[in-house]
Amino acid sequence: MLKLGSKAPDFTAPAYQQGKFINVKLSDYLGKWVVLCFYPGDFTFV
Amino acid sequence: MSVDSHFVHKMWNDHELSKMVKGGVPFPMLSDGGGKVGAAYGVYDENAGVENRGRFLIDPDGVVVGYEVLTPPVGRNVAETLRQIQAFQLVRASKGTQATPSGWKPGKKVLTPGPDLVGKVWEVWKVSEAFE
Repeated sequence: MLKLGSKAPDFTAPAYQQGKFINVKLSDYLGKWVVLCFYPGDFTFV
Repeated sequence: MSVDSHFVHKMWNDHELSKMVKGGVPFPMLSDGGGKVGAAYGVYDENAGVENRGRFLIDPDGVVVGYEVLTPPVGRNVAETLRQIQAFQLVRASKGTQATPSGWKPGKKVLTPGPDLVGKVWEVWKVSEAFE
């Protein structure tokens, strides 16, 4: 598990947002607060 | 972020989530095929081939200041996540001179740690405030 107070591992990931396919790079969000959420899978119930 | 492709994210958003959230999901739905990013964050379950419900708060310097990880059947409490962000933002704006006690919400009392507060928290903060 990550250590609190350490840098969040950077990544680039394909994404869908509001009708568009984009690439998201975490470090592009420097200067902003980020909530990064993982979940088991699309079309699951919770 | 999940191991689903961004194409499946589109299908889920367009065919289900947009029926729950007007206009669809506003933020990027990220794809982590193979779980590489999830593995870097310690939330990828390689036996099940899916990510656990990991939620990471990352500050403007790119530093992880908090996280919560749940196994799949139990959903998150989004209000608590927002409360934590508000608390971290307050502490950051004070340049670390202030701290938020248990149960803090916007508008409630904050603490200013220092020699005068040692042994005196009981005078300024009550246990009942943790549950309000």
